[in-house]
Parts: sequence; C-alpha cells; structure tokens
Amino acid sequence: MLTVHVNGEERDTPRAERNLLSYLRFDLGLTGAKYGCGEGLCGACTVLVDGQPLRSCMTTVGAVAGGDITTIEGLSSGETFEDLHPVQQAFVDEQAMQCGYCIPGFVMGTVGLLNRESSPSTAQIREALAEHMCRCGTYQRIERAVERAAQMRSGGAS
Amino acid sequence: MTLSIVGDVQVGFPAVRTGYGQQTYGNTSPQVERYTWLTVGDDGRVTLFAGKVEYGQNIRTGLAVEVADELRVGLDDVDVVLGDTDRVPWDMGTFGSQSTARVGWQLRKAAATARETLIALGADHLDLPASDLEARDGRVISKHDPARGVDYAALLEGDPRVEEIAERPAVTPSGEWSVMGQTHRRRLDGLDRVTGRAKYSQDIQPEGMLFATVVRPPAYGGRARSVDPAPAEALPSVVSVVREDGLIAVLAEDDEAAALGARMVQVDWEIPSGQPSRWDMPAHLVESGTEPYPMHEAGDLDEGFRQADHILESTYYLPYIAPAPMEPRATVAQWEGDRLTVWAGTQRPFGLRQELASIFGIDESAVHVIAPEIGGGFGAKSPYALAHDAARLARIAGRPVRIAFTRAEEMMWSNFRPSALIQIKSGFTSDGRLVAWQSDAYHSGERVMIGRRGAETPYDAGNVRSLVYRSDSPLPSGSYRSLGAAVNHFAREVHMDEIAEAVGKDPVELRLHNLSEPRFRRVLEQAAEEFGWSGPHPAEGRGAGIALGIDVGSYVATAVEVSVAGREVRVHRVGAALDCGQVVNPEGALNQMEGSIVMGLGGALFEASDFQDGRLLNASFARYRVPRITDAPRIDVRLIGDPETPSTGAGEPGIVPIGAAISGAVFAATGVRHRELPILRHL
Repeated sequence: MLTVHVNGEERDTPRAERNLLSYLRFDLGLTGAKYGCGEGLCGACTVLVDGQPLRSCMTTVGAVAGGDITTIEGLSSGETFEDLHPVQQAFVDEQAMQCGYCIPGFVMGTVGLLNRESSPSTAQIREALAEHMCRCGTYQRIERAVERAAQMRSGGAS
Repeated sequence: MTLSIVGDVQVGFPAVRTGYGQQTYGNTSPQVERYTWLTVGDDGRVTLFAGKVEYGQNIRTGLAVEVADELRVGLDDVDVVLGDTDRVPWDMGTFGSQSTARVGWQLRKAAATARETLIALGADHLDLPASDLEARDGRVISKHDPARGVDYAALLEGDPRVEEIAERPAVTPSGEWSVMGQTHRRRLDGLDRVTGRAKYSQDIQPEGMLFATVVRPPAYGGRARSVDPAPAEALPSVVSVVREDGLIAVLAEDDEAAALGARMVQVDWEIPSGQPSRWDMPAHLVESGTEPYPMHEAGDLDEGFRQADHILESTYYLPYIAPAPMEPRATVAQWEGDRLTVWAGTQRPFGLRQELASIFGIDESAVHVIAPEIGGGFGAKSPYALAHDAARLARIAGRPVRIAFTRAEEMMWSNFRPSALIQIKSGFTSDGRLVAWQSDAYHSGERVMIGRRGAETPYDAGNVRSLVYRSDSPLPSGSYRSLGAAVNHFAREVHMDEIAEAVGKDPVELRLHNLSEPRFRRVLEQAAEEFGWSGPHPAEGRGAGIALGIDVGSYVATAVEVSVAGREVRVHRVGAALDCGQVVNPEGALNQMEGSIVMGLGGALFEASDFQDGRLLNASFARYRVPRITDAPRIDVRLIGDPETPSTGAGEPGIVPIGAAISGAVFAATGVRHRELPILRHL
C-alpha cells in the first residue's frame, strides 16, 4: 500500500490515482482545503508540497507520494491567536476575509510565497496570488495581510 | 439558572424607506410564537440567537457587538447561534441587508431588557435602590461605590427566569457606546476561518454518508427520453442509480465514483427548441415585457418635455451575470425515523424547512435545517432545491446523502442576476436642470420585485414617469446583491453623465444642480472629497467618474479613476461614502463596501453569462472572468452616517453606483460612452 506524509504523519492511501483534494477532505477528514472549481483556477484547494503551493484538486495522491504535504490544519495548532502561524495572524488582524471559504488557500499560497521570497514587492504579491479567487472581494485586505506577515517574519517575530 | 429573554419576531424597526422593502422584508412569522433571543447563563456567558446566517457579511461579530455593549460585557463573553431552525427565532431569510437594521435592533432591546432585569436582581441582592446601580464589566455595581457590586453569574443562582423583551428598554444612546462603533479587527470567527476549522456545508460528513451526483440535462428545460443506468451500476463503488419523478442520481461510496457514475449514465435528452440566445435578449426583453408598473409618477410629463431646451434619449442594456460564490452549493440530508436533518448553506433555513415539510408531508417540527458557514451567496443561495433531492435520496438509501455541486453545476443551476434593458428619455434646460424624466425598464424574471428596486429617481425632475416591466427570462433569474437596483442605477447615473456632457457641466455639479435631498447631496460631496474629485480628467491618460445611489435605505456615492490601454481597463482607485445611519461595527461595514465595489467592478468590466439554445456557454472560471487581486483597486470608504439615525444596510449599497462611475471614467479617458455592460466587450 502507498503511503504519504501529511502534516508530518505517515498515512496510508488505497489508490495512487485518488484525487488529492478528495483524499484529504473525505479519506482523512482534513476539510480545510476547499473545492472551488476543480480546474486549478481558483486556488481554494491549495496545499503545500515540500513548502511550495500546489492545487490539490488537479493532482493525485500518487503524484505527491514522495513529498511532505502540509494542509492548513498542519500549519499551526491554532488553539489561540498566539499559536497561529504569522500569516494566519496577519489575515486575522487585517480582517482579510469575509465568507472565508477561499482563505485557507490564500494562506497556504502566501506561506509558499514567503518561503520563496521573504519580502515580496506588491507586484510579486499580486502575481503570486493572481491564481487565487476571493469572490467577496477582500483583495485590498489580503494584500495588506501579506505585507504584514512579511514584516512580522523579517522583523524577527519569534 | 439561566436568564432567558424572549420575544416575537415582529421586528419592524426601523421602517424600510421604500414600498419594495416594506413588502419584501416585512419580517413576520407565520406562527405567533415566543422565541428566545438571548440568554445569560449562571457562568455569566451571554448567548444570542438569530435566524440570520453567516455568509461572509460578518453578522456574527456585528450582532455580538450590539449585545456586548448593551449588556456591558466584553465581546469575548458573547456566544452566537445562527441559522439553526431548532435553536433560533424564525426568520424570513438573510437578504436585503436587514440583519443589523432589524435583528440587531431586536437583540439590542433584548440585551437592554436583560441588563435592566439584572440590575433589578442586583438591587435585591445588594439591598440598594435600582436607581443607584449600573451594569459594568459583567457586574451590577453601585454608581457611588463601584467596589460594592455583584457578578451577573452570582445573581443567576436559583430557578430559571424568563423575561419578555421590554416595550421600551433603555437602549444605550450612541454617545455612550463602548463596544458598538469601535473598530474590532479580530472578528469572532477569524480564528476558525484561518485555521480551516470553520465548517461549511461542503465539509459536513456524518457517519455512513453516501455521495450523490444528480444527472442533469446539458440545457435548460431538458427532459430524459430514456435512461440506461447499466454502465454506471457496473462501477465498483456505485451503490445504485436512482430514478424517481424526473430525478436521476448516482449514489456511491465516494465522491469520485458518484461523479464518474453520473457521466456514465446514458441519457437521451429532449431539449426544447426555440429558446432565446444571448444575442436575442435586448429585443426579447422589450417584446416580452408585460405588467408595466408605475414606480414613480409625478407632474405632467408632456408639459415637462415642452419646457425642455434639450431632450435626450438613450437605451441601456445589461446581460445576465453569475453570482459565482466560491463555495458551490452542497447539502447533506439524514433521516432518523420520520425526523429529517438537513445541512444546507442556504440563506433561508426556515424557508427550506417549510419546503421539506411540505414535500414529505410531515410537520415542520420534524425537520431540522442547519445552515453552517456559507462560502458566499450574494443573494443567490436563497433557493436550495438540491436539499430536496438529497432528502429524497437519503430516504431511499436509508443512509445520509450528500449532494455537492461542481463549479459547472453552480454556474448553470444557480440563479443569475436578471438581464435588463432600460430606455430613458429626459428633458432639461440649457443649464442642466431636469424638467422631465421618462424611464421604461424591462427586467427579466417572474418575481415582479426584481426590477422595481432602485427604479425611482432621486433627482428633482418634477415631471416623472418611471415604469418597470416584467419580461420573460430564458435563464433562472433571481436574487443577487441589490438585485435590480444596481441595474436601474447604472442606466440612470450614466444618463445623468450624458446630460452633464450635453450642457458642459461637471458630473458632480450637474448632479448637485438637480438634488434637493440633503442626505443625497451630502453623500455625493463626501465621496467627491474622499476621492479628491477634480473633474473627469484627473491626470494624463486617466479618466474619473462618479455616481450616487440609494439601496436598502442607505445612501452611497462612489468615484473611480481608470486608465484604458488596448482592451483592458484598469481601475486604479476608488473613493466612496456610505450613509447607513449609525454604524455598530465599522470594520464590518467597510469590508462590505469594499467587497461590493470589487464585485460591481466585475459586472461593469467583464462579467456576462453567455447562453445559446438553452446551453450555458461559460460555466467555468476559465470562461467566466471574475475580479482577481490584479484587478483590485485601492479603495477608501468614508462612513458618514448620523449616529442618531437608526442603522440601515451596508452589505449591498456599494454595488449600486460603481458601474456607472466606471462607465463615466472610461468615457472621460476615451470619449466613448458605454451604455452596455460589460465594458470590455465593447471597447
């Protein structure tokens, strides 16, 4: 049986061809990654594989079997505000959300961006998040949240 | 014990300004019952109950802010229960920006009643006259000696106590607010939303749940002539293919098998011919227009046109657009004996309960509808027929059944913002004073209210006739943020720009020239100031536009700056003002304004639902463009409501003027007037 690593745990998967998003949501019960379009166009299903964002709706479990998968549930314990990952804190503090359905994807996309580029320019932020959709239209706040998160990290927020 | 504050659902304050609001949003329960609106537990925690649902508007925080302030407790001491038909007061539905205006007011009265009750209990407990006592930080204390006091929790030892909402409780005046009106950056559900803990209907998975995919026709009105389920039934994870009363559905043990099975069911579809296609719509709207309804009639129109130095006639057209919420509809139905539980991200949990009870011939009390977090709706998630199907399938299967729309299903089987064609003929003097205004608006859709919203002109034309027709709708038309108001406003405000051009006046000046209502004048002036309005040509290569409006009783004006390069319009910045009376949660109101502006930008520039012969041609985000972060302008909003004026809505007004403001700005930049949307198709 194939095994994958999800949020630091080794998990069994019945079929290599199982859709990764379906596997996470229904087989493991990790519902933080969302279905938005099934075509890799909206970013709601974004997870990290080896620290980089991936559209989980567009891939299979077998394709990521060798990598470390992180979902929003694995980003922080999230019990209190202080426990949150800096990107999560920044989204809360900028109230960068309305319905919130897209937000786990945006958070994971932002973590991936900051893994690549610790202090991204506005243009880099927009380019990295252009593949994510927020139909509630909170983009101005999301942009501020990404800037805040970058500052928190570079400012040595320990 | 628990202190419970009960009351009915006749939440009739403040009155909605227009006849439309009074008819549609008179929130009257079908049964006269008492409902618990608020409890204070013997642990001191406060719980509020409301039939509204949370679909992004942040009403959870907004209502908690109101209750916390009236009860003199912290925001963190308040729990909020929403949208659960077994637990909350009956509610017509979450639409029309009524949550703060009506339910918020009812909860403030309930909380003020609770505070007065606690003070009365405190008077007994402390052996002091109630007039010497006040509530503060979850305690009843002596005004003269704050050290002398008692916790709410200590006052509630003993038997449960039930109080009616007082007729006129001492609701806290805005000058004494300490929680209301303040900036609360951390919403109550912020932590749940950034951690993935927030549960949407897509996320509900009871034990033993089956996945269902409904086999739907490729075109509207399609009917199955014949069905061959055998290829689907042969799949290993498929449990069965159900065919009953026109419903064809594949039940499977996992989501992928259900979806695959649905594709493998062989159906011979009969598609009705002769359905209008998108290019037929402008003529179809006018030809099928019926029941002209006089929204606004005043003076003598013929006399008005005789007085005019100029007469201007223009026609405006808006296509259908898709609400396209990020969360496609999803539902789970579960039977336990004759009791039905349904999770559904609907804006009308009580309406759905009634529908389900009627379908299955059971009492409403046997149906429990739970609206979890809702991933956007914008009005579209009022109807939720897939929950009917899920309940039927769950009854057949004897197991919980989930139906979740794909993106394509959500695009096609949702309801669209109605298409409309609006003809306006105006008469005005050579200095730009209106003397006649004739408007004929043809809106698609059965519901007559669709086109009436926002169809009155706020300008002092004197001689007015504004008719709204109901026209045939080839696509399912229905609720959408502000409904026909954004559509009617687009036509009227672009027309005002055309008059300004004709007489050589500035768009702001021309509007002020024809406006006497002080709230309209003020909101326009404040938006112009926030934006830094200096005319239609703010800088080389840039155009500016401005428009005003009213929706759900709130006054709004918006100015935008754009540049046009090739076939792209870039909106650089937006300055807006909103007068929605007193603002209990400013951060929530601002967020809603910003979101309405971004949504309206999509409809103005690039959104349109295309269809041909009953088929939707752009049911994917690859073909239906919605605003992305790269389209988002800088937005500055000024909240200018009078703190003594009761709250009106903040969720919808922002979408009302933005389209015309963008059209005006594009005209300023290019010299081309856009009377049809979306603009990018006509550049």
